[in-house]
Amino acid sequence: MTPAPPVVTTKGLTHDYGEVVALENLDVEIPPGVTGLVGANGAGKTTLFRILLGLLHPTEGSVTVLGEDARTEPMAIRGRVGYMPEDQCLPDEQTAADFVAYTAELAGIPPGEARRRSSETLFLVGLEEERFRFLGDFSTGMRQRVKLAQAIVHDPTLVLLDEPASGLDPEGRDQMLELILRLSRFQINVILSSHVLTDIERTSGWVVMLDGGKLIRSGPLASGGDQRSVVAEVLEYAPEVASALRARGYEINVAGPRISVTGDDGSVERAIVEEVAAADAGLVRLVRGASSLEDEFLAGRAR
Amino acid sequence: MTDEVIFDRGYRRYDGPRLGSAGARRAVVRDGVRRVLGLRRKARRKILPWSLLAIATTLGAVFIGLHFFASQLPVDMASELPRYGELFDFFSWIGILFIALAGPTLLIPDRTQGVLSVYFSRPLTVATYLRAKLTAFLGVTAIIYLAPQLALHLGLAFLAEDGFVGYLGSNLDVLWKVPAVTAGYLVLHGGIVTAISSVVSRTGAAAAIFLGILTAGGSIAARIGLIEGPITRYVTLLALDQHPRIVRDWAFDITTSDYPASQVGFDPWVSVVVILLIAGAGVWWVHRRYRRLA
Repeated sequence: MTPAPPVVTTKGLTHDYGEVVALENLDVEIPPGVTGLVGANGAGKTTLFRILLGLLHPTEGSVTVLGEDARTEPMAIRGRVGYMPEDQCLPDEQTAADFVAYTAELAGIPPGEARRRSSETLFLVGLEEERFRFLGDFSTGMRQRVKLAQAIVHDPTLVLLDEPASGLDPEGRDQMLELILRLSRFQINVILSSHVLTDIERTSGWVVMLDGGKLIRSGPLASGGDQRSVVAEVLEYAPEVASALRARGYEINVAGPRISVTGDDGSVERAIVEEVAAADAGLVRLVRGASSLEDEFLAGRAR
Repeated sequence: MTDEVIFDRGYRRYDGPRLGSAGARRAVVRDGVRRVLGLRRKARRKILPWSLLAIATTLGAVFIGLHFFASQLPVDMASELPRYGELFDFFSWIGILFIALAGPTLLIPDRTQGVLSVYFSRPLTVATYLRAKLTAFLGVTAIIYLAPQLALHLGLAFLAEDGFVGYLGSNLDVLWKVPAVTAGYLVLHGGIVTAISSVVSRTGAAAAIFLGILTAGGSIAARIGLIEGPITRYVTLLALDQHPRIVRDWAFDITTSDYPASQVGFDPWVSVVVILLIAGAGVWWVHRRYRRLA
């Protein structure tokens, strides 16, 4: 069986803003499905999205999106791609239904069909009741959902989601990630940028890691991470907490405020909480099985 | 236990027609007209545009009424009443206020609310977007200028002694003069207001700057221009508000005022050139600015 063609291919892709090099010699092939684009702020994620949409041209190299050259066929690409920007991008004085229908029309969908699809898509993202409210009255979570709705209303083959869970509370983040997973079930390919690695681990089958415009890694993502490992992010006194846990016999890795503890039994989490409390430190995050991607990213950055 | 199930409508694929760039352009025009008129917006967005339209319509009705009243009198009063050319003087201030509303409303919110990043991720170029905005602007503002003129034209035709058709036949020149003069107003003012709206972030501030340039700026330029000197006469051309009126007087062969540019010896065609230059500069500036924003 022939493997499905990649949705994005870049060869020697470089882009600079004068002195600042945003992307450097990027060779990537992104397969169909959900792909996580990982990188810290300024890693070049948004620049890559803008190049994929044909809004920016590479300084060097080539980019192909859904088989089309992004430099010469940007209009063909934009008709088949949806984009959810990270920043504020909604008009306050339009209703959700009107705005999403309008963006569908901008993608060439006839007006009547655009309105129907607008209603259906807002239903899909959980905003059926609120669709006739003005966007200026929406909460952050609702606004993120509208941003997602406008990105998929015109039946794109590929959607580019720039930090889709940004600014959401844990429940909102959970719902947004669930929506993204649903997109893949509708055969919509997704490239999802985030600097929250657990979001990528939860949703993506493929990962592209960028740091300072350079490729750290592009490849499949092992599902679930290392379930034997528990990661704790500690506010102050991380070395003291790590020493105490080591004294209890656990295998420990420390990187700044991040402590990775390996241990099969369910007592690891309890031990961490006890030692953090004993050291009078603060516990920012405690998660099992999420360390693999983070470790890989940090190791890649160190290289 | 019941037989009811939750039905997930899921996601419907679309394999119908796609209208491409032309569809996108029509969508921007439609949205632009709605936005200026406050349609599908909150009630307070409707107040100003519809008030101006109501004032224009009322004034048009008053003029038709005056002509009707004059036609009933034994003496010839109708020739003393304002007709097509003079009517622009009565409507131009409403038109300028409407333009001060329409230009910023069409351009500024898209830019300041970040919506351009969504629009330009669709098959829509900067040029297509701006052309569509310009079409919406010209279409909706032309109503303010042309609707009263059309009402007057039809009203005069109904009142004419030689009959409705006879009047229309003997006044065919109105059909090009009124649109030409209207274009002069819209092109000049549109060029200025869109250039301002492409850099200013608040609609109210953009409108105030536009009105300031036309009123205070024009007055200052006229005063400086009338001072004797080798170059100062050219400064009179910066009194921008006079140019559409000079074209209007030229087209209708009337003299309503002594304009600064006329006083220092500029012919009416110079005003046409100034209008086209300012409109061209405005379009160039806005396009350049939006290419950077896209």
